[in-house]
Amino acid sequence: MGELTGRVAVISGGTRGIGRAIAEAYLRDDASVVISGRDAAKGATAIDEIRADLGVGDRVRFVQSDAAVRADCDRLIDETVGAFGRVDILVNNAGGSSNNAPVAELTDEALDNALHLNLWSTFWCSRKALAHMIPQQWGRIINISSLEGKVGKPGLAIYVTSKHAVNGLTKSMAHEVGTMGITVNALCPGAIETDMMKAEGGKAAESMGMAYDELLNWFAQESAIKRLNDVEDVALVASLLASEAGAGITGSLISIDGGSAPY
Amino acid sequence: MGKLDGKIAAITGGTRSIGRGVAEAFLAEGASVVVNGRDQAKGEQAIAEMGGGDRLAFYAGDASKQATCEGIVDFAVERFGKLDIILLNSGGVLNTAPVSMMTDEEWQLEIDWNLNHVFWGMRKALQHMLPRDTGRILVTSSVEGKLGKPGIPGYAATKHAVNGLVKSAAREVGTTGITINAILPGLIETDIVRATGPQSAEMMGLPNYDAMLDLFAQESAIKKLNTVQQVGAVAVMLASDAARNFTGCMFPVDGGTMPY
Repeated sequence: MGELTGRVAVISGGTRGIGRAIAEAYLRDDASVVISGRDAAKGATAIDEIRADLGVGDRVRFVQSDAAVRADCDRLIDETVGAFGRVDILVNNAGGSSNNAPVAELTDEALDNALHLNLWSTFWCSRKALAHMIPQQWGRIINISSLEGKVGKPGLAIYVTSKHAVNGLTKSMAHEVGTMGITVNALCPGAIETDMMKAEGGKAAESMGMAYDELLNWFAQESAIKRLNDVEDVALVASLLASEAGAGITGSLISIDGGSAPY
Repeated sequence: MGKLDGKIAAITGGTRSIGRGVAEAFLAEGASVVVNGRDQAKGEQAIAEMGGGDRLAFYAGDASKQATCEGIVDFAVERFGKLDIILLNSGGVLNTAPVSMMTDEEWQLEIDWNLNHVFWGMRKALQHMLPRDTGRILVTSSVEGKLGKPGIPGYAATKHAVNGLVKSAAREVGTTGITINAILPGLIETDIVRATGPQSAEMMGLPNYDAMLDLFAQESAIKKLNTVQQVGAVAVMLASDAARNFTGCMFPVDGGTMPY
């Protein structure tokens, strides 16, 4: 029997990358898992792949949902409860930023979009999930933040700002629900070369005034291990936090960055 | 199949409290473990209770002494052939006092027990691990490694110092197969805390021992103390092969106490 038998997890943006790795880790620990994404076709493919790899059948489902849209966030939680009867673990994983630029050249829209995708989405999904977690007095909220939620790099102000805000939301929520059997933590990975990073990283690098490889190298060189982290590193901690032993860890901003963050 | 099958671990302290909880978690995951304590008789009793059979051994010695911190590494290698994991865990407060009343002897003891112990053990472990290019060094630090309470200046200072040592050493060996991390628990009501707690409470200006437990619980988000099992789970994770990319980490197990 797995560590998460009987638990229901929902992971925004879980069709690939970090969210996908966490989904697979939770499925291996015997949880039921809902993953979401904007693109229904990509979602269907991901579900087929996961079912083929892990043989988990209907224990994994896909819900089409745009994390930057409030009604979609609410519906994601509703459909999770509809499918599996409850929600125990919420991983706010969808996020990112596009149209990065130095602040002097930054548009209002770029900041607003980053806030919707990273901060509002986390707030909306958390608020809705807490409505289920508080009555059952058990819950785990895990926010996929970033090393850039603790430090800041030039040219990434919208990403850095929204991830710092997610970390603040994490700490406040943790104290609000601390005595209710619910933990709230943020995971702060360094750069991980996911599909999304490969797709968007070039433009982020341009905003930072460098090439994509230079961006990856910057992240690697500021770490102690001098290499990037991978999605399995994030899944490892996400599994620990979701377990019973995770009950004692809340309000934490856990670094998954090979020793990069100074705190 | 355990997460630590075939691994050899050594733990300073380890016959009781946090060290024992981690030792039991390591044993459950398939590691062989050397635990340490000052008293031979108590140590033998502890390992009999823990029931690790041939996978568990006791090494007697005072962890505030260099000979013990280095000796446990040699002992583990002699007994089990190698050392993969060391948890530098022993430590605490013997005679709590505010700075204005603290003696040099007490200050020195805390430096030896909480800081030098970690340095001596880490240096010796690294000398064994570097040629093998693999290893996990864990340090039991504390929330007081980031905070600071009245009446425990030596403890707070040495736990801050240990965190600095971990960060520096982690960067020194970051590109090897060795990781170095600190675990920062909040207060856990262990045997040691029960023994020294009443005096600590008095020096912290609190009415009694329960008030001290309550102070720690109330500053957390969960409003209760942490447990050795929670520390054990984190230690197993950081000691596992899967944690190869985690180093220089100040891993919290504090119910939301630390602000950063």
